[in-house]
Amino acid sequence: MPTQNLVETHNLTKEYGKVRCVNSVNMQVASGAVYGFLGPNGAGKSTTLKMILGLAKPTAGDITLFDAPVNEKNRIKLLKQTGSLIESPSYYGHLTGEENLQIIQTLKGCSEKDIDKVLKIVRLHEARKKLVNHYSLGMKQRLGLAAALLGFPKLLILDEPTNGLDPAGIQEMRELICTLPSKYGITVIVSSHLLSEIDQMADHVGIIRKGELVYQNTLESLHSHAKQQIALRVSHTAIALDLLRQDGITAAQEEDFLLLPMLEDDKIAFLCRQLVAQNISLYRIEKREKSLEDIFLSLTGKESSL
Amino acid sequence: MITLRVEFQKIKRKKIGLTMCALMSIQFAWLFWATRRPDETELLQGWLAHLQTQPLLCAIMMPTVMSVLASRLADIEHKGNTYKQLKTLRTAGALYRAKVFCGFLFILSMTAADFLFLLLLGYGHGYAGNPNPKAYLSSFILQIACCLSLYLLQLDLSMLFFNQMIPMVIGLCGSMLGVILMFLKTYSFLPWGGFLSSALVMMDWNPDTRVINYYYRDFSPVELSALAMVAVWIVVFYTAGRILFTRKES
Repeated sequence: MPTQNLVETHNLTKEYGKVRCVNSVNMQVASGAVYGFLGPNGAGKSTTLKMILGLAKPTAGDITLFDAPVNEKNRIKLLKQTGSLIESPSYYGHLTGEENLQIIQTLKGCSEKDIDKVLKIVRLHEARKKLVNHYSLGMKQRLGLAAALLGFPKLLILDEPTNGLDPAGIQEMRELICTLPSKYGITVIVSSHLLSEIDQMADHVGIIRKGELVYQNTLESLHSHAKQQIALRVSHTAIALDLLRQDGITAAQEEDFLLLPMLEDDKIAFLCRQLVAQNISLYRIEKREKSLEDIFLSLTGKESSL
Repeated sequence: MITLRVEFQKIKRKKIGLTMCALMSIQFAWLFWATRRPDETELLQGWLAHLQTQPLLCAIMMPTVMSVLASRLADIEHKGNTYKQLKTLRTAGALYRAKVFCGFLFILSMTAADFLFLLLLGYGHGYAGNPNPKAYLSSFILQIACCLSLYLLQLDLSMLFFNQMIPMVIGLCGSMLGVILMFLKTYSFLPWGGFLSSALVMMDWNPDTRVINYYYRDFSPVELSALAMVAVWIVVFYTAGRILFTRKES
């Protein structure tokens, strides 16, 4: 269970000229969490992550990593306990995957055995002797993740890690990220502009919009804002609607579906039997949940390009 | 040291050494051709002549060679978008220093090869006497210094520009400028004129007798200032590059 914050930012701000890309962000990433950093393109996710990694200099505010305020003197020392994959993977195309990892391993000062381990984790073990220029985009992305995993750092910062991956690769990446805290004790910050992605990976979420952190809490808490409904699709919608109303259930029609409030399983089973008894065919019964996108919009009350 | 070691790990398969050898062999071939079949006067002045010819050849060749070297070392980072990862593992200053030192080691090796070739050529042709160790050592150090100033300029440009054509064109223009300066005067304050300013031996050519007389240069205060300018350029380019690279956000 998360106990302390590995990353904290205090009023973190970044301006490029007159444009304020990140505005007083107070991010808190608990130890052992998969922190989903969510926001539309251009919201300031990458800039925030780059500031945490010291790749961009904050205009104002400060950053605390592993309980220590980050400054120019201790930055590299603190970052030795982190791994990162920002935007696109970094690699030397003329070298093999293994040689690329050897470079990072030398700089990180971790064990050579880690190379084998991380290659197996990202399933690049067989392509280790292949030149990275001959890798597919997905393989390069996995190599980037392997490089970030070298030394099994305490904190992993992944900026849109599923970019360029095929559906199977995306699924694989998600599963891998989810297992990192439990398997290796790694806290993960993962950014994405896709709500569904964060929903499947994260247990904590921070939502950034136009440089401002508009929401930060557990994903569970975010879901508690959700409204669950039961959707029915039947052969005779009007008759079914009347029947439900007679049973005292408030239902609404939406296109071909009847939307019911969340009911106990027994009650749903009873309703199904009743509908069938009235010769109404039951085509589909689904549980519907207000999406994170809807939740996000209801939280901010604004239009978004999410 | 680790960062420098990594620099050499990075350039594996880039054949930078081979490229440098190929470029140097052009210079060797040129020098060999220029000194072929020496007559009696040339045999007498051969060792001196080398110290006059070498800086001239360098003025033509080295701006291009240095631009190629710097470009090859910097381009691998641009292509793989690697700075954003490297800067989380080492300070920008350390990364810049490693690039400079890596290039310096190439320059040192190339200059050593250059002077070894001069010695082999001289002894092979049977020049009279022996080379002046002090003059040859001074020339060796000055050539390294001139190459380093050009390398730093080219490295700064190569690290600054993603498109390596820009620094390469500047390098080629530097070579052309080297040729032009060579015909105009004996010194220059420009970075590409360093070789010209650092030549320890000058020549006197008598158009009537067509006899060339080589002599050790007696540096005037202006020429000495031009020579000192090489050191100034090294400091300027190193400091500028380090500041630019450190401040640049990835």
